Amino acid sequence: MGRWIPDRTTLFLIAVVIVLAGLAGMQGGLPAVVDGLSSGANELLRVTPMLLAAFLVAGLTQVLVSREVIERWLGSSAGWRGILLACLGGALIPGGPYVYYPIAGALLGSGAGLGVLVAFISAKNLWSITRLPYEFALLGPRLTLIRYAVTFLLPPVFGFIAEAVFGSKIDCIREAMR
Amino acid sequence: MIESTAIMIAIALGMWGYARSRTDDSAQRGMTLGLQTLKRTLPVLILAFAIVGYVRVLAPQDVVRSWIGPDSGIRGVLIGTTAGMLLPGGPYVVFPLVAALYHSGAGLGPTLAMIVSWSALALLTVSFELPFMGWRFSMLRLSLGLFAPLLVGLIGLLFITG
Repeated sequence: MGRWIPDRTTLFLIAVVIVLAGLAGMQGGLPAVVDGLSSGANELLRVTPMLLAAFLVAGLTQVLVSREVIERWLGSSAGWRGILLACLGGALIPGGPYVYYPIAGALLGSGAGLGVLVAFISAKNLWSITRLPYEFALLGPRLTLIRYAVTFLLPPVFGFIAEAVFGSKIDCIREAMR
Repeated sequence: MIESTAIMIAIALGMWGYARSRTDDSAQRGMTLGLQTLKRTLPVLILAFAIVGYVRVLAPQDVVRSWIGPDSGIRGVLIGTTAGMLLPGGPYVVFPLVAALYHSGAGLGPTLAMIVSWSALALLTVSFELPFMGWRFSMLRLSLGLFAPLLVGLIGLLFITG
């Protein structure tokens, strides 16, 4: 741990904590500064069992869903079926943007349709299975259920709209990458 | 809360059991990956919860309510959408913060708009998208994606009971 170098997000969060601690100190002195930390620690302890399970679920999903299977699915299908498969692939694929954008970029290069690409990324954003445990643990079941219910139709709809309206522009989009 | 924890633990055990039943080392690798992620995100997680604690102590109910409260209407949804685009970091940072705001009096519409906007439009993610997909694709996806938080926020506004 001696070589731990904080990234930008960490530095930003440290700055926010310092500002908030300062505000608390101005309002209520040292007791308020301590109160904030202990209130946060209590909240973290309260969700710890659920978080541990969530990290385990996310890790196992990563192992059980292989990236190769998803790439093969998306490369080989088109039309409305391709868009629905892309949604499923986006929902299942684990990992952050540094994992799915290289895949999407490779698919763009190898001739995938616009609808498939938009559906894949939208489903990753809105249906992500690996994010679900964290959302459930940290936001609570009620907000999570409402959130998934109201965005459920969006990934395929975005895919269809993109394909229907801009599908013919895919070569132009591909050209921009050369 | 206890029910949610039980559900999550049951899912974890179920998946672990399934991974164990495969003849490879899936279960072991899955656990290692989960623990690695936990270790990597622990500093950020602790900071996020320190922020949550201060949001509680500072109790900015009045500020939260007037900006993104249940009566903030379309303006609240727009503020939530903008805030979501700017929120940095992964789910471990964003979800505790959004939950803290929600419990400090944010309305359902702005809260949903914030979550969805962070999911679909986060500017940090767009910086990954550009080099792989090109600006034409990004513009198209973002303009479609902009409908998501607005639509969801408006649906949330209709269920003001939240």
